[in-house]
Amino acid sequence: MSAGVYVHVPFCLTRCGYCDFNAYAGLGELAPRYVRALHREAELTGPDWAGEEIVSVFVGGGTPTTLEVADLTGVFADLRERFEVEPDAEVTIEGNPDTVDEVKLEGLLAAGYERLSMGAQSFDVDVLSALERVHSPTSVRRAFAAARAVGYANVSLDLIYGANGETVDSWGRTLEETIALAPEHVSAYALTIEPSTPLGRKVQSGLVPAPDPDVQADMFEMACGLLSEAGYHHYEVSNWAKPGFECVHNLGYWERRPYVGLGAGAHSYRDDRRWWNVRPPQEYLDRVEAGVLPVGGHERLEPSDAYLEEVFLRLRILEGVPASWIEPAKAEPFLESGLLEEHEGALVPTERGMLLLNKLVLALTG
Amino acid sequence: MTDTSHIRNFCIVAHIDHGKSTLADRLLELTHAVAERDMREQYLDKMDLERERGITIKAQAVRLAYETGGSAYELNLIDTPGHVDFTYEVSRSLEACEGAVLLVDAAQGVEAQTLANYHLARDAGLVIVPALNKIDLPQAEPDAAARELGELVGWDPEDVLRVSAKTGEGVTALLEAVIERVPPPEGSRQDPLRALIFDSSFDPYRGVVAYLRVKDGVLPSRSRIRLMASKLDSEAEEAGIFAPEATPVAALGPGEVGYLVTGLKDVHQVKVGDTVTIAGKHRAKDPLPGYREPKPMVWSGLFPAEGGDYGSLRDALDRLKLSDAALHYDPETSRALGFGFRCGFLGLLHMDIVKERLEREFGLELIATAPNVEFHVVRSGEIIVVHNPSEMPQPGTYDLVREPVVLATIITPSEYLGPVLDLCQSRRGELLDMKYLSPERAEVHYHLPLAEIIFDFFDQLKSRTRGYASLDYEHWGYEEADLVRVDVLLHGEPVDAFSSVVHREKAAQYGRSMVERLKELIPRQLFDVAIQAAIGSRIVARETVKAKRKDVLAKCYGGDITRKRKLLEQQKKGKARLRRVGKVDVPQEAFIAALRVDERTPGAKR
Repeated sequence: MSAGVYVHVPFCLTRCGYCDFNAYAGLGELAPRYVRALHREAELTGPDWAGEEIVSVFVGGGTPTTLEVADLTGVFADLRERFEVEPDAEVTIEGNPDTVDEVKLEGLLAAGYERLSMGAQSFDVDVLSALERVHSPTSVRRAFAAARAVGYANVSLDLIYGANGETVDSWGRTLEETIALAPEHVSAYALTIEPSTPLGRKVQSGLVPAPDPDVQADMFEMACGLLSEAGYHHYEVSNWAKPGFECVHNLGYWERRPYVGLGAGAHSYRDDRRWWNVRPPQEYLDRVEAGVLPVGGHERLEPSDAYLEEVFLRLRILEGVPASWIEPAKAEPFLESGLLEEHEGALVPTERGMLLLNKLVLALTG
Repeated sequence: MTDTSHIRNFCIVAHIDHGKSTLADRLLELTHAVAERDMREQYLDKMDLERERGITIKAQAVRLAYETGGSAYELNLIDTPGHVDFTYEVSRSLEACEGAVLLVDAAQGVEAQTLANYHLARDAGLVIVPALNKIDLPQAEPDAAARELGELVGWDPEDVLRVSAKTGEGVTALLEAVIERVPPPEGSRQDPLRALIFDSSFDPYRGVVAYLRVKDGVLPSRSRIRLMASKLDSEAEEAGIFAPEATPVAALGPGEVGYLVTGLKDVHQVKVGDTVTIAGKHRAKDPLPGYREPKPMVWSGLFPAEGGDYGSLRDALDRLKLSDAALHYDPETSRALGFGFRCGFLGLLHMDIVKERLEREFGLELIATAPNVEFHVVRSGEIIVVHNPSEMPQPGTYDLVREPVVLATIITPSEYLGPVLDLCQSRRGELLDMKYLSPERAEVHYHLPLAEIIFDFFDQLKSRTRGYASLDYEHWGYEEADLVRVDVLLHGEPVDAFSSVVHREKAAQYGRSMVERLKELIPRQLFDVAIQAAIGSRIVARETVKAKRKDVLAKCYGGDITRKRKLLEQQKKGKARLRRVGKVDVPQEAFIAALRVDERTPGAKR
């Protein structure tokens, strides 16, 4: 079966208040060791994945573009050595606007990173500052132009909506600016407050209001409307693409295809087993340098777990779940109220249904 | 058997915390009833606690031996329940006495319960021995309190005894006064036996134990007895006294107080107020007067939080009933709360005790509906008794409704008289009379619907008087009232557990408050949920819980999948604790919070 490779780069120039990813600012000096460790881990893991066709590679973070082009070039070249990466595999790198310029982007494209996923987040200065993002709307436009200039034909922009101070109108302007740039792919995420983040603590102590779910719902509907008008296809709860530009790698997660994760805190999945690397970069380095796999934990999915995952992941994408999996009486009310639709024997959530996916999943599997 | 002329039967009546238990301790010490090394504080109360755990039987009446003036006396100190829920039980205990020590805290003065108990004691024909307690306290005002008390009982304030149960000062004089002022009991050994049951308890090993006072004749330790109201015969196993531990005796003679192991196993057969006589041809012709069936005054539906616990709840109620003759329950089915029981209680304290025991001793988690009174619906001359608001007929289908009314006595510092009167007026009260006990304190009598009292009245009274007012009440009877049933509908579906019977003038206000409260408690659903209050088909209040629009994790990639699945599993567990009302999911907690009437019951010593 076709599989994906994920590489995690945990370094950032600064840490954003809302982010709960495994990312660190100020650990840049570990980068050379970290790159060596990625090579070593690929060497250790590769043989386990012999025979798996790799159809996608995704280098994410953190901020992968904090690494040197030479290092990133080396990493991808090595992955091709250690894994059976298909010639037409989708190869994505994440970057944020302030860490890329034409020179760097040209190098990345030449190295084989043909898809660029850029964290734009917003075109509203106030929203960017509420998110503690250091870049400006101008730098997004500049970085995007640079990518086009060097020949990038597959660019995705990430957006976040519902931050403190953002109105439906300003979100509309962000969407229009995004559409004007005409990226091939757009991810738009409702801001989620994670309790363990600086923003989470501010919300808990009442310094910052929590996002209003109704306003976020309005923003979601606005995104659905504007992006669809602009020719984007809504293929997952938070993802839109021009036809043919759906993200192969991320679809792998939702279609429950196997994937191997390299780097600190990266997750892997195959044959109803999930495992994950230790999160702290230092611990990851120590283990890999000692020649051991840096696995920090694992779980085996029981058939009921697998079923629940299958249902909620399939419902996230337009594929939906086969109607035969669900008792008709459970689906009936949602078909009636327009949260679900039936397409060729599959139950597919409508856009309104996508917003209420947790409820749908619980009702259909309960 | 002691000659009646050397017997004194008395009780101590007092407002809560005026020092009754401490005085009992001093009396036990003074009469050497308890060896010094065995003495502990609140001796009799602690025996009571043990009884609750089924280890021993309570000393409801303790015999004290006291010598004075060359004569030996048998003094029986009879305990009286100190709470308004148990007025009838108090009256039976008083019936077993010839005298009562009316004990008043010298710092607090006369309180509502002092008055209520005084009236009960006087009505029972008891000789009153007034006494001030806590004269050792720096804030005690014995002269003022003596004036108040003297005025109340019509005594010269000079004759009001002054004691400190804490230090023992004046306690001997009190004992002497009891012997001197309280008359000995009457009654002849030759008459057929008549003994008054003033309390009973259940001992897991010995069955039902009756606490009784022999009025006429002799009760031998082992005899075939007859319970006259229950019309039951039984082989009694043992008669005895509390000294203060249970001590068997050969016989109890006229005027004596003690216990009887009845040989019966069901506490409901041994009723407070019943008369014990000898079975067969020697039996008494007429029972002692004043017997009454225990009658629940407050009703509430009890439902297990976990539907599967219905059987356990039934078993627990069956067990509690063994030792609680006043507890009443019938199976009830609520569309909202499932299977449970409609339970009848003597009052709010009794209700709280039962609920607490069910939860604490039987490990049950309960949902209780708001307490209600018993309504009498009159339809073409026929009376329909309603214990459950959701069973109240619709307006227009009956002639009239009657509700229980109480005679309430409130004592308040004069400065809070205004707020107290306002409260009573707002609760449909009818002022009967009002007088000043002193320039600083006033006594007010009101007719009040019991339904108003059980709804948060005591809390309101306390908060309007900074905790200084006291309340007591007795049942007065049933009176016609303009009452209507208010229903609460969720998404068009009536929720029987939320139905309530209220006065027509307050119905809309009640409906609004319920609807507003529920709006905060009902979580958003996938559709708009209308919450309505209705009288019959007329909607009097409405709120809407807007549909939930967003419930989805924005991001779900590699590492999130495990986390997301666990989150869903957790939500699934939470869903199991939801109850379905029509199409609406209502969390358990919403029922509990919506049905809670925040209040403390008057005089509850807990």
